[in-house]
Amino acid sequence: MRVFLTLMRREWMSFFLSPVAYVIFVLFLVLMGLSFSMLISLLAEGSQSGSVMRQLLGESLFFWLAMLMAIPTITMRQFAEEKHNGTIESLMTAPLTDLQVVLAKFCGGLGFFAVLWLPTMAYAILLAQVSPAGAPLDYTSMISSYIGILLIGAFYLSVGLLASSLTRNQAVAAVITFVVLCSLFFWGFVPYYARGASWQEIGRYTSSVVHMMEFSRGVLDTRPVVFYISGTAWFLFITTKVLESRKWRA
Amino acid sequence: MISVAHLTKRYGRFAAVDDVSFEVERGEVVGFLGPNGAGKTTTMRILSGYLSATAGEVKVAGYDVLTQSLEVRRRIGYLPESVPLYPEMRVDEYLRFRARIKQLPSRRLRSMLGEVKERCGLQQMGREVIGHLSRGYRQRVGLADVLVHDPELLILDEPTLGLDPNQNRQIRELIKQLASRHTILLCTHILPEAELTCKRLLIINKGHIVASDTPENLKSTLGGGNRIRIEVKGPLDEVRKAMTVLPHVHRADLCEDGSWIHGLIETAREVDLRPNIFELIVRRGWVLRDLSLENRSLEDVYIGLTQAPIAREGD
Repeated sequence: MRVFLTLMRREWMSFFLSPVAYVIFVLFLVLMGLSFSMLISLLAEGSQSGSVMRQLLGESLFFWLAMLMAIPTITMRQFAEEKHNGTIESLMTAPLTDLQVVLAKFCGGLGFFAVLWLPTMAYAILLAQVSPAGAPLDYTSMISSYIGILLIGAFYLSVGLLASSLTRNQAVAAVITFVVLCSLFFWGFVPYYARGASWQEIGRYTSSVVHMMEFSRGVLDTRPVVFYISGTAWFLFITTKVLESRKWRA
Repeated sequence: MISVAHLTKRYGRFAAVDDVSFEVERGEVVGFLGPNGAGKTTTMRILSGYLSATAGEVKVAGYDVLTQSLEVRRRIGYLPESVPLYPEMRVDEYLRFRARIKQLPSRRLRSMLGEVKERCGLQQMGREVIGHLSRGYRQRVGLADVLVHDPELLILDEPTLGLDPNQNRQIRELIKQLASRHTILLCTHILPEAELTCKRLLIINKGHIVASDTPENLKSTLGGGNRIRIEVKGPLDEVRKAMTVLPHVHRADLCEDGSWIHGLIETAREVDLRPNIFELIVRRGWVLRDLSLENRSLEDVYIGLTQAPIAREGD
């Protein structure tokens, strides 16, 4: 456990030691800030449609833009850089299991992702401060929104981690992740546009867009929770196998 | 300490290591030599558990590298050829990280860190960012990392690659000091270095072990005949004829440079022909300036073993 925490801490710290983290931070906060300012202007016009969280996260294109941009930049270096620098060799010849390394990298990435979201909590506090009595802020939907973000984030990060384990080139890892995540995102609109009932059904089970909408409404359904946790586990398992494949691959 | 039996590693159809067997005893310092692509790095990676073998059995300290990989890795300090380090970390930070993931107990961490830094000459460098260090210091950080969990076996892949002669000597001295406490498998291209630091040499070529012995024995058994260097003044044709007809002479290479004739005479190993040559020259009334026995170098042995057909200097 101590070994795992050490590994995870290094993984997490390494983000803050590289300039990439700060670039992600700035872009991410700009996008979320835009989203917030749009929300404010909507509220100022007296819009009553849905909850605040829903408009800040669920229905905001900026939210998805921020996710699709941040995740590949977080995961791209995780394995690709180690492979490129050769540090994977000293890492994997230390007495660590492959699973330990994959999980530490994943948790480190998730930790950084969580830190990325921390400043956005200020929006909620800000809103509560400036709103008149009977503020539109609803803590249940806030909590479920953040849980949803972490679940979707974890799933997307595991996709990125797999991409990073497949190549030694960070740019390639980022592009693969970005393309896969974009496909997942656009797949999320299937329930809105698909004709057949079965397609709509499948779409609803797998659409991150629909799920995020639900989470931001304060609905914490077990189906998406199970979907994201099992999806994450599956991608992490494949990543472990890819890492293991160095041993026998020609 | 190391026991390798019928180790084979194939990449597709190509066998990088082909049915290799060798043993390394506890406390030995063994040099692992061979040309590029001979299978050295592959063998080391298998020993350290980074790769797995296609066939064969490899044991380190009695543990199987395949089934008890973690036990093996706990007992090994492996320095890969490129000395991979995290450039964004500071020296202390990195060594502490490495010590922790190699499960050095916390109570020993501080003292061990101080000790390896002292041994590797890094006392003043703890706060430096690794990415800003010179090649020589990075190499030392790599060595400090290898030593930090006090492993029984050190596997060093070209630890002096790319260093200047001073740094080279320092690292060599360090390895000599380490020899008293650790078993060392040292992989290198630099033959004088191997000769100076290793008690025994393993030479691998094209995936096979072609020799395993002390440097002295290798030189005497595989070094071929003696070589005598002469410098003499006299008529070239006569000198050549006289040298070639001497008993035990395999061949004589002579050439004229100004008024002096320079020559290399190869003879059978068992005899020293210098007195005979001296007598001959005196009898003929020629003038002698140099007459010396050349030491066969390890390089000759190495080239003879790893390169066929043998191409000699001066041909």
